[in-house]
Amino acid sequence: MEDYKFLFKVVLVGNAGVGKTCLVRRFTQGMFPPGQGATIGVDFMIKTIEIDNEKVKLQIWDTAGQERFRSITQSYYRSAHALILIYDITSQPTFDCLNDWLREIDEYANNRVLRVLVGNKIDKEDREIPSHVGQDFAQRHDMRYLETSAKQADNVEKLFVQIASELMEQAKSKGISTESPQSLPFNTRTSKTINDFCCNR
Amino acid sequence: MSNVSFCCYEQADVMKCVDTIVDKCTDPGCCLSRMRPRYKRLVDNIFPSVPQEGLVKNNMEKLTFYALSSPEKLDRIGEYLFQKASRDISRKRNEFVMIAMEAMDQLLVACHAQTLNLFVESYLRIVQKLLESSEPSLQILATQSFVRFSNIEEDTPSYHRRYDFFVSKFSSMCHNNNANLATLEMIRMAGIKGIQGVIRKTVSDDLVENIWEPVHMDKIVPSLLFNMHTMKSKSDIVVESGISEEVNDKNDAFSLAESCLRELIGRASFGHVKSVIRPVLKHLDAHHMWVPNVFATQCFRILMFSIQSQYSYAVVETLMTHLDENSNASPKIRTSIADVLSKIIAIAANESVGPTVLEIINSLLTNLRTSVTRRPPSNIGLAESDGENEYREALIHALGEFAAHLPDYQKIEIMMFIMSKVPQLKSSNNPNDLHVQRMCLKSLLMVSTKYCSVQMNATFPQSFLDLLLKTLTASEDEIRFIVLRILHTLLDRHNNASKFSKATVNITKSEINLEKCSRSDTIFIRKHAQDIYVSIYECLEITNNTVDNVEAVYTTLALICIELLSEETVLDFIRLILSIQELAITNAVLSTQQKFHLHALVVSIMLLVAIIIDLHPLKIYINKIIEQRKLLNATHLLPELSIHNEIKSISLLPAGVLIEEPELTEALKASGIDITKTGPVLTHRRSWVENTNMSMKGSYTDLSNLDLDSVNSTPAMQRRFSPNEDLSFEAMKRSLLDNPAVKAEQNTRQTQLCDLYRNASFQDLVAISTASKDEESLHTKITDVFNKVDLSNKLSAIETNNNSKPIYETLFPELFAF
Ligand SMILES: Nc1nc2c(ncn2[C@@H]2O[C@H](COP(=O)(O)OP(=O)(O)OP(=O)(O)O)[C@@H](O)[C@H]2O)c(=O)[nH]1
Ligand SMILES: [Mg+2]
Repeated sequence: MEDYKFLFKVVLVGNAGVGKTCLVRRFTQGMFPPGQGATIGVDFMIKTIEIDNEKVKLQIWDTAGQERFRSITQSYYRSAHALILIYDITSQPTFDCLNDWLREIDEYANNRVLRVLVGNKIDKEDREIPSHVGQDFAQRHDMRYLETSAKQADNVEKLFVQIASELMEQAKSKGISTESPQSLPFNTRTSKTINDFCCNR
Repeated sequence: MSNVSFCCYEQADVMKCVDTIVDKCTDPGCCLSRMRPRYKRLVDNIFPSVPQEGLVKNNMEKLTFYALSSPEKLDRIGEYLFQKASRDISRKRNEFVMIAMEAMDQLLVACHAQTLNLFVESYLRIVQKLLESSEPSLQILATQSFVRFSNIEEDTPSYHRRYDFFVSKFSSMCHNNNANLATLEMIRMAGIKGIQGVIRKTVSDDLVENIWEPVHMDKIVPSLLFNMHTMKSKSDIVVESGISEEVNDKNDAFSLAESCLRELIGRASFGHVKSVIRPVLKHLDAHHMWVPNVFATQCFRILMFSIQSQYSYAVVETLMTHLDENSNASPKIRTSIADVLSKIIAIAANESVGPTVLEIINSLLTNLRTSVTRRPPSNIGLAESDGENEYREALIHALGEFAAHLPDYQKIEIMMFIMSKVPQLKSSNNPNDLHVQRMCLKSLLMVSTKYCSVQMNATFPQSFLDLLLKTLTASEDEIRFIVLRILHTLLDRHNNASKFSKATVNITKSEINLEKCSRSDTIFIRKHAQDIYVSIYECLEITNNTVDNVEAVYTTLALICIELLSEETVLDFIRLILSIQELAITNAVLSTQQKFHLHALVVSIMLLVAIIIDLHPLKIYINKIIEQRKLLNATHLLPELSIHNEIKSISLLPAGVLIEEPELTEALKASGIDITKTGPVLTHRRSWVENTNMSMKGSYTDLSNLDLDSVNSTPAMQRRFSPNEDLSFEAMKRSLLDNPAVKAEQNTRQTQLCDLYRNASFQDLVAISTASKDEESLHTKITDVFNKVDLSNKLSAIETNNNSKPIYETLFPELFAF
């Protein structure tokens, strides 16, 4: 009777102002929030989507990009199944910081976490990072790559659906976690199987 | 699925028509089939037809009764309630969600502990479901329920139950940023309460989720701290002094967070302390909250007051480790950390014992040392100005704060420990070493100010005194000055030091706090007079003494006089003063100014002795000299000491301004000081050199103890003043050389020296002589020994020495080629 078959935890990281919160809001609430303020600490959203007729619940943790919250946001990496690393294609500095972010991810996240690089704000005219540069960077670091616009809803749905499908693929290929989570003890085996799965990948 | 809910929605109408047909059944599907299980019907019945009516009380009682009588059905009841609530949440029918939650709460309370866990699974899933909603009211509702749940004791903990979502979500709520301030605070407070609930639920049982894992603490601790520093402006309670041992029970986010932090650290066992402190430090780093450190201090005081006291030093340790880790941070940050340390370290002192104490002290000293050595020596001047100095002062302050709260016996231990860490400067004179030495001594000074002397023999254990006195003759005037100040604080039991900070001849007995010298003090000064006086004398011989140094020696002598002297022991002291006068007259290297200072020192201290010991004739005599000096306008021989003593009298040392031996002897006799027993004063009486056993332990350091003799009999001096000259210095020297007891003493020393040179390997000896801080002095010493050996042929006792002479002469010809 539980309303989902898979539960995945997705964490968004990246410099302040690259549009993490806007992406999440666009995806979960279908809107582009005007005057979105900087995130404090960590925000939480949930969304259940359907893939191949199966319900997948995404727990989305939207972290603050500001330096001062780094210590608490890092603590959310560990349990993530997927990490979305976002930069702003109109801002070279946000791209330059990617290496620092990767270092942090390596340090704090599960090393088998699914990593996706996202260049956001493609609706803007003043692009600074050409598409192929982002693509190259992603390839070099073994990440998926996608360019999005939270404002115009470009690729936002696709981003999360791709992540969900991939995680689902992984889960299924291991032949586990197909049973309904409702028969499982509270909040444990679902996530645990995925964790185990991730670790065995 | 949708038709079921449709039916539920139509509840009211259906009830009207089926009420009489099927009692208690509100679900048409069920009614028609009569297959619907009883528990479902009971659950359905607790929901009113219109949500505003709230939980149907008597039906709830029926459900409760059923649950109690058939506990095996609890899990089904829970599951069904969960399904209903989930549906209501997704349809945003919040009133029904609240009713479901209320029912859950009632069942939780009513259920027997042993059956509870059947129900808890679904209960927690509802709570999670509510927390997942973006609706603030539902989040708050869930938290309230969860807090109630957290206070229920469960018999059988569910080992598989996990709380990571709760910790993550509650922490996120603690950072809520809702545009509506009231909502913001409500959600944040809910988050804090939720965290508190998780802690309560997990902390008591290690088998349940380990809340102390970094993955949890790294979320919990920053969330609490964040609320403590962002929400505090509203409640004005946060003045620095407002942090006490008392738990703040105001109901706002700040107070809640604070009390939650207190509860957390209060429950921490030793192994968990670091799990809490680490994220605190991380948070303070990330939020740049060291400079200024008001909040950091506040945090740490809270932690210190709330932690189980036997673990409090672990907090100190962790903070100190943090200081180590920040050794490359700006001096400002380090100073601030050290300052926080100094503000909490006292709290730990009460609980620290044994090795911990020394560990803490050692760590502070190590940091001091690091601070000194971190820069190339050429930059030391720069370091003084860039805040490094403040950092050091902060460390020393911390050390003092710590020491101040230790029992006195531990303070002595610490002082000895610090003293043992003072680098003993060798010829290399590395500026860093010098700096470290200065820092260590400043620390020692700090500790000594916190120590309260009672008995001098307890205050000055032999090894401690030895090291102190040795440092008293260090080549740096500043170092000597610090040592003198240490002596002041340790000697001054009656709070007289301030009155004697400057040499003076205007003092009356009534101004001095006096207590009769105790037996043990007399024994102490008897035993150590030799060492102390020799060191002070040597200290005065050094050519770079400033006015401050001489004044500090004056203070030291005055305090010795006040604290330790009695008629029994005064004579040695007078001898010392007299030899200082000799020094002022005869020394060839001291500046004229310095010599004037010595004269002023001598007359001041001699007067003080006369006053303290009540030696009236002596007092008259000294006053006469003072008058004479005044009369002849020889103000340069009187206090105040100053750098530019102009000479107003016709000559430097006009007639009658010096303390002369015959008059002094008379005055002492007249004062009732027994000087006849062992012959004339200052010549045949047992010398103050005699009492202590300056044994040659075969180490280099002991050689320096011979300095007094070497000084008094250096060839230079002998050339200057023929033995016939009627100077009391010579009398003094004679007393040293001719006194049989002294002779014997010297003979032993000579023998020991010879033995050393005979038995030690050549390499050792070379090492000894080259390691000497001043080869010249070793050389003079050996020369000196030779001179004496030559002079004392008449004494049969030293024949062995004569015999041994050629051995080292042949071994070290270069040493004796002068
Ligand atoms: N043109 C355009 N602007 C965007 C887009 N996404 C976000 N923005 C703007 O970028 C700014 C920052 O967006 P946020 O979503 O708050 O950024 P964030 O990454 O969550 O920032 P932090 O919470 O501080 O880490 C806002 O002013 C948004 O309006 C986008 O796709 N296109
Ligand atoms: Mg944001």
